Amino acid sequence: MSGVKQQTIEYDDKSVRWFMVASVIWSLVGLGAGVLIASQLNFWRMNFDMPWLTFGRLRPLHTNAAIFAFVGNMMFAGIYYSTQRLCRCRTASNLLTWIHFWGWQFIIVCAAITLPLGYSRGKEYAELIWPINIMVAVIWLVFAANFFWTLAKRNEKSLYVAIWFYIATIVTVTMLYVVNHLSLPTSFLHSYPIFGGVQDALVQWWYGHNAVAFFLTTPILGIMYYFIPKAANRPVYSYRLSVIHFWSLVFIYIWAGPHHLLNTALPPWLQSLGMLFSLMLWAPSWGGMLNGLLTLRGAWDKLRTDPVIKFFAAGVTFYGMATFEGPLLSIKSVNALSHYTDWTIGHVHGGTLGWNGFMAAGMFYWLAPRLWNTKLYSQNMANMHFWLGMVGILLYVASMWVSGIMQGLMLNATAEGGTVLQYPVFLDTLQAIRPMMLTRVVGGGLYLIGFFMMAFNLYKTARAGEPVNGTVQVTSAMDELAGKDRNGFHTFVNAPIVYSFLILGGCFIMIFGSGASFLAGIFITAVFTLVAIAHFEVSGAKWSDWYDQLLKHGFGFTILTIIAAAIGGAIQIIPTVTVQRASNIEGHLQIPYTPLELAGRDIYVSEGCYNCHSQMIRTMVPEVMRYGDYSRLGESIYDHPFQWGSKRTGPDLAREGGKRSDDWHFYHMLNPRDISPGSNMPSYPWLFEKQADFKALPSKIDAMRMLGVPYDMNLSPEEIQAEYDAQAVDIVDRLAEKGAYTEPDKQIVALIAYLQKLGTYEDTTKKEEEKAAEEQSELFSALPAETKPVSAN
Amino acid sequence: MSEEHEQSDFHKEKLPEGVVLKEHSYDGIHEYDQKLPRWWLLTLYGAIIFSGLYWMVTYHYEGSKTPTERVDDRLAEIAAIRLANSIDVTDNALFWEMSESPQFVSAGEATYKSICITCHGANLEGGIGFNLVDGEWVHGAQPSSIYNTVYNGVPNTGMQAWGSQLGQKRITEVVAYVLSKNDRSVMEAAAETNP
Repeated sequence: MSGVKQQTIEYDDKSVRWFMVASVIWSLVGLGAGVLIASQLNFWRMNFDMPWLTFGRLRPLHTNAAIFAFVGNMMFAGIYYSTQRLCRCRTASNLLTWIHFWGWQFIIVCAAITLPLGYSRGKEYAELIWPINIMVAVIWLVFAANFFWTLAKRNEKSLYVAIWFYIATIVTVTMLYVVNHLSLPTSFLHSYPIFGGVQDALVQWWYGHNAVAFFLTTPILGIMYYFIPKAANRPVYSYRLSVIHFWSLVFIYIWAGPHHLLNTALPPWLQSLGMLFSLMLWAPSWGGMLNGLLTLRGAWDKLRTDPVIKFFAAGVTFYGMATFEGPLLSIKSVNALSHYTDWTIGHVHGGTLGWNGFMAAGMFYWLAPRLWNTKLYSQNMANMHFWLGMVGILLYVASMWVSGIMQGLMLNATAEGGTVLQYPVFLDTLQAIRPMMLTRVVGGGLYLIGFFMMAFNLYKTARAGEPVNGTVQVTSAMDELAGKDRNGFHTFVNAPIVYSFLILGGCFIMIFGSGASFLAGIFITAVFTLVAIAHFEVSGAKWSDWYDQLLKHGFGFTILTIIAAAIGGAIQIIPTVTVQRASNIEGHLQIPYTPLELAGRDIYVSEGCYNCHSQMIRTMVPEVMRYGDYSRLGESIYDHPFQWGSKRTGPDLAREGGKRSDDWHFYHMLNPRDISPGSNMPSYPWLFEKQADFKALPSKIDAMRMLGVPYDMNLSPEEIQAEYDAQAVDIVDRLAEKGAYTEPDKQIVALIAYLQKLGTYEDTTKKEEEKAAEEQSELFSALPAETKPVSAN
Repeated sequence: MSEEHEQSDFHKEKLPEGVVLKEHSYDGIHEYDQKLPRWWLLTLYGAIIFSGLYWMVTYHYEGSKTPTERVDDRLAEIAAIRLANSIDVTDNALFWEMSESPQFVSAGEATYKSICITCHGANLEGGIGFNLVDGEWVHGAQPSSIYNTVYNGVPNTGMQAWGSQLGQKRITEVVAYVLSKNDRSVMEAAAETNP
């Protein structure tokens, strides 16, 4: 092109304002819901005996609102604001931006309606029902299209580190979300996940852990890389550290999911991978923290005066704290104590309140004056918000540490030479942590008040100013620059990548191999590592050139990110999903649910019982003493979704079936405190009034059959109904004998049937022995008497 | 742009050995390029090396046990300790003797009040579970039968097995407590028909 044309581009900052306002509003909803459910744990009356206000239904609302509504909108505001500036061009499509904005808000409203009504898929952070799942996927792809289109239009040669993190976020969340939400609908409002049992557990925590990684961490790191240098007016600490920690984070994070399933029935090799990759994740995470904190070097004086820097510095510090605690909790023996307790809750809130919440607040306080062309309404109020939030987090996290460690120690404590439990009554351990649960409410409440102050402060700021959109001068010469070097296969297929793949290949041979192939794996890994180092020493300069080339090549960069993020999941999930179910049951085969039990299970899922009750007895002596024999893989093989749980506010239910009488459950569901004085479980009076949804059962059983659950092929709806009625009447009669009256069509009957079924299985080892013995005896009887082996006599 | 001016101060700063201020800036954001902190690299390499070693020891060393083998072994050990410390729970006279020991009875009462009370009532009058002071003993009236009922439970009746949770000692104490609330002669008479 000849001649240099000047052109002024106006950024689309209107959508940034809207996303920011949406985020602030939803933050109040999400945090408010959090404070409410925290109060419910301590004061059971706060459940108000109303179905849509019970803990089990509101806890998913809290998590979804905090993650997808609050942080989601915050992330979009930050990404739209910074990407335009880092690309020196306006967001590609106004239409897509606004479809994205309104689509996302519509999804949130749908979630806020369906979750309290009890429409749930029963998987954590993936509770939303399938029509909403489809909307989320579509809107996310709209966002992705808009983002990559903007990258393609950019007037900037290469991609800044913030953009790398945004790319990683977009592609990885797409992958995680789609795979974990694959389901088979049975009606417009209900579906079963296509994975069951251990497969579902693995996929769920691959998703669940990486929702934290790629929804709550990587986009915020990108935001950190843009807003901290901006706010501090300092250069980023180290570009090299950015490169190393980005790629190691993206590659390693994906593998760490199984650390949510340590000491469970999950195959040991997967547990080990989960633990080891979590440990390896420590340094890459701290790389991000270092780059954030050390960028502030030379600007520490602002820490005293500027609330923005305060929030960012504290936010990054909490990130460092949470990413140190994470690997610690992933060590199997630490996890034996911490898992299912409040320690996990404290850990996750250190991350969300400290890292996400404070980074959001810092960003909002920095953005508002710039988006409305004015000064922040009140610096003092922002400082006040900071200190309230800080005290709130510390109270919250510290009380959860104490609570988690205390309850974990009590639950695992044994007496009399280790032969009996010291605290056989679960409720005793709950009563012990009551004061800590109350402290948590106070901490969370302070944090919420801080956010109300922020909302007010931002509102006053916006009112005082006028909305203004940023502009930038670009010259057409930049187009030329930007266009150059973008093509070329070699930018993303070259020495470093080839070495990476060879080394990784060696590692995989090592992981899966045994004997000679294991040694070969070590050998390949070592040789190529040395060759790569030697090559690097000889031609070091070229490699950084290579990376600079890659940064000009958005497509190549994206492809490599996808590969890096996909490997871990593929290695863990594909073997688990493709392995024949029958060979992976450890001798216990679950007995499929009867229609009544299946209806009860759907009530269990819909009421969100899994939020407080696990169904997984870990391979630990105190667990076996308390709940019975440890769980085997085959015992939940037909569970779509799996219900292993992640927190025990109440006891484990894996072997609940047959332990107590029907009328125990009847009275306990009516008012748990009648049976277990001091319990904090909500009462469920509506289960005694509402009819179970037995009309949906034929289509549900069809779906289950398609998913591989061995129901009779020729079961007609009438037969299903007859079987349902017979079992229900049986339970109702038994209850009536004890003076507990109800009708067969009520939900409580189905729920009792389900609870009494838990833990029933067929012992396939015995079956095989019998079968073998039978075959043998048949064989022998066919032989002439004199040739029978001696042992047969 | 004004931002470029604002940031000009660090351009003049003297940089330590090996630190480079990269030329290119993005929307006014500059980057240093400097070596990675040594302790950070040690953490990264250390974790990777540890992982390799852990994997080798866990999956390629003969002596390593799987988690289930480990818990099974430990449970077997515990069973052995229990056996070694076990008392004769078929000795009915012994239970009656215990029911006269204030220590046994008060320890049993504590366990009863924290666990059994929900189904059998504060005064053993029953509720979801049977009445324990009415002289009627559905699952056997002999102290050893009562012990057995508590230890192993009665499947499908709601009486759960407390053996693994409470252990022998606490269950004998509970039985002693229950016996202390009953009349020996009545129970022994009942045991004749329903041992």
